[in-house]
Amino acid sequence: MLSRSEIKSFIERTPSFKNTMPSLQAIPKSPRWMIRETQEVIAIARKFNEEVVKPYVLTLDRKMHEDPDYLPWDFVKKANEWGLYTMWIPKLFGGRGYNMASMSVFVEEIGSVCLSMANLIGVHYLGVATLVASWNTRLIDRICRDVVKGEKTGEPCLITLAITEPGAGTDVEEMDLADKGNITCKAEKVPGGYKLNGTKIFISNGHVSVWHMTIAYENLDKPSDATIMVAVKTGMDGFSFGRMEHKMGQKGCPASELIFKDCFVPDDLVAVDTRQIDKLNRSKKDTMQQIIDYVVAATRAGVAGFATGAARGAFDAAIQFAAGTKVNGKLLINHEWAQCMLAEMYKNVSLARISYVETNYANNLFGMYKLLQLKPVYYFLKIVPHFLLDKIAPGFLNKPFMTWVFRKLQLDFQTDEDFHCTSGWGSLAKFSATDLGIKNCHMALEMMGQAGLRHDRYAEKFFRDAKLLQIYEGTNQLNRLNVFKCFMANDYPQAVVFEE
Amino acid sequence: MSKGSHRELKLLGNAAADFSRKELAPSREENDKYPYGAFFDTVINKAYTIDFFHIILPEDAGGMGQGMAALSVVLEHICQEDSSLGGIIFTCSAAHEIMKAAGSMDVLSQITDVAENVNDFLIAFPVFNNPSEIPHLACARKDGDRYILTGSIEYMVLGNIAAKALVPAKISDDNTFSFFLVDLKDKGISISDPILSLGLHACPATDISFQDVNGILIGEENKGKDYFNAMAEKFHVAAAAMSQGIMKGAFKEALAYTKGRFQGGRQIVNWSEMKMILANMAVKIKVSEMILASATVAVDENGNGWRECAKAAAIHIQELACDLTTDGIQVLGGVGYMKDFGQEKRFRDAKHIQAILGLAPLKKIDYLENFIM
Repeated sequence: MLSRSEIKSFIERTPSFKNTMPSLQAIPKSPRWMIRETQEVIAIARKFNEEVVKPYVLTLDRKMHEDPDYLPWDFVKKANEWGLYTMWIPKLFGGRGYNMASMSVFVEEIGSVCLSMANLIGVHYLGVATLVASWNTRLIDRICRDVVKGEKTGEPCLITLAITEPGAGTDVEEMDLADKGNITCKAEKVPGGYKLNGTKIFISNGHVSVWHMTIAYENLDKPSDATIMVAVKTGMDGFSFGRMEHKMGQKGCPASELIFKDCFVPDDLVAVDTRQIDKLNRSKKDTMQQIIDYVVAATRAGVAGFATGAARGAFDAAIQFAAGTKVNGKLLINHEWAQCMLAEMYKNVSLARISYVETNYANNLFGMYKLLQLKPVYYFLKIVPHFLLDKIAPGFLNKPFMTWVFRKLQLDFQTDEDFHCTSGWGSLAKFSATDLGIKNCHMALEMMGQAGLRHDRYAEKFFRDAKLLQIYEGTNQLNRLNVFKCFMANDYPQAVVFEE
Repeated sequence: MSKGSHRELKLLGNAAADFSRKELAPSREENDKYPYGAFFDTVINKAYTIDFFHIILPEDAGGMGQGMAALSVVLEHICQEDSSLGGIIFTCSAAHEIMKAAGSMDVLSQITDVAENVNDFLIAFPVFNNPSEIPHLACARKDGDRYILTGSIEYMVLGNIAAKALVPAKISDDNTFSFFLVDLKDKGISISDPILSLGLHACPATDISFQDVNGILIGEENKGKDYFNAMAEKFHVAAAAMSQGIMKGAFKEALAYTKGRFQGGRQIVNWSEMKMILANMAVKIKVSEMILASATVAVDENGNGWRECAKAAAIHIQELACDLTTDGIQVLGGVGYMKDFGQEKRFRDAKHIQAILGLAPLKKIDYLENFIM
């Protein structure tokens, strides 16, 4: 009926086929083994929930109420024993190499019981994603192998992302705002490396982590052109932990202050700086935004996974209450209004899940997961034995050439349309799922009344925990603006974002 | 003082606002640590000495004899800073009101007249459950002139700090219940540790079990539902006032923060999306003020349809407060989630208060069934 060129022309019109249906485009290209692998991930998560999370969820939260400075080493060590900190580290870098998209599914499962513990696992992969997005293969290999070693020795080696500053939250995530923001974390170039000064706050898992992927700025007057990412190790001179925040929820997952005072970071721990990205196609500012977007497009899907878990946990608490409680003489679950409310909650869970699944498909096609999800790469890494890869991979990953290749492939070859699609979907999933998560928590508490107020009935904990999801990884307001920027602004040349 | 002239209400409001600012705000974070921190006895004692617990108590029982407008104005100001005290005042006043409705003023006076301290004066009451909806009830049996209670009651508010408790219990097998006053020092009573709860941390609740405990019947047998409803019909406005206070506190803190915090080189209050959030908060508060003012006047003056007004006001204002306090945190971003600011507590407290006097969805159905159909 229509010629190929006509079809192409029509499907490129807004809303474009590319942006609206990542799943349909991605599924034929996806390795079949991913299905079985994802099923395995769900099974592992459920077993871990049964054996570790459920028996500990109320105890940990109570402990944190009692002593807000308690560090959950017991849980972190347990998760380390189960291999959860290497599951989504690519096999190339020594990890177990599960497909990255399945991490959102995993955190949904754990989050449906306890968001704190889900964060104690999931946030580590925010650090991993940040490290990976630098595409500095030598440093990725070094730090990831530290994590693997930590698993073998029983000394957990977690990674954080340190970006938020006392005077700048949103400003550090959007390069368009950075130059006007109150940014203070300074990286001064000195012989052999950088000297860091400044403070980072709200760093999830800070106190229990070993490596901190830290964003700093060579020029505080124009940070957008002077952003660097370095790896700082706990124990380095000039680096210390400050206070642990006392939060309303997600209490078991520490939010830490990191303090840098003349902290020397040698060149070999610089993940990316302006000199390294000078020769790439995009400007320094655009490249840094691209790197940040690579990270958040993936990790915001993870936050949506947490939120789906919260929505599900609240739903579970409500339906169990409804099934066992008589209201006005009959079981609540047999009141029509309650059935509709439960159906609404179920819908919220499902929509939240769909949002992160679709985002992961976008990331498989155009984002961080693209290379690893290519069928030949995926199957090669699945089939080749670990010991062989461990023998061969470090040798070539340490070559500067490999960093150049990865940056060429992942940064230069990624089109603006590609990263608008992944970044837009990341934000869409983030604010949709987290709003739905909170909605379910409200509904659960309304349905449960007095019972819902009690700590031992779980619903109140989900309510406290879920609220943070609307704030971190960019507030939901910032994410709405990013959706406008990625999916709408390009069609209207007169539209400007972050410049009102 | 007789019921609420405008000037009297203003004076009472000023006193509550002053108390709230001086006694509650500075220690809010500390007081909220309960049961893992100390209980704020000193504050409660001060509130007691300035008669915040006596507002609706009739004058001949040593109270102020005020109406719901007076109670509401005090609760609103108190809850701007710390709803826990509001919860204590509400609970005790609700127990008083039930005893009043049951015609048991003599029993009530015996408590209020001889109370030597606030603990003697307070009456514990499971104020978050409507026993007609979910029958969390003890069992009572008549033994001569006495009534003996067994069984348990969940979530008895003030159970660990009050001297007496007002307990709903079943005497017969039908759907009725009765109220009994019990002495919480009775040896047949066992009281749990304070229950870790969503909000109102310093307005503690406990589970209580009864083993052959003496109870004084309040009013008549099997009339508990009538007494509860008589109290609730009035007290909906007091609950709404608590929610309104929370909203005002949240807005005040949000607005102040947006003027001091910068993003993209500008005060965040000057970004239009932030203005939109604040505007929505301000509109909710104005609407709430208008509704609550009408409802409290209607209640105190027995105006046409006052029950309907009070219930609708509570349902709507409590929902508004839950929405608004979410935005209250959002405006502050990460710090709004931290204990250092008041927003996270208001978020929890608003949701907690929505459950007062029973399940929120059933309040709506009840509204339709009782006032519309």
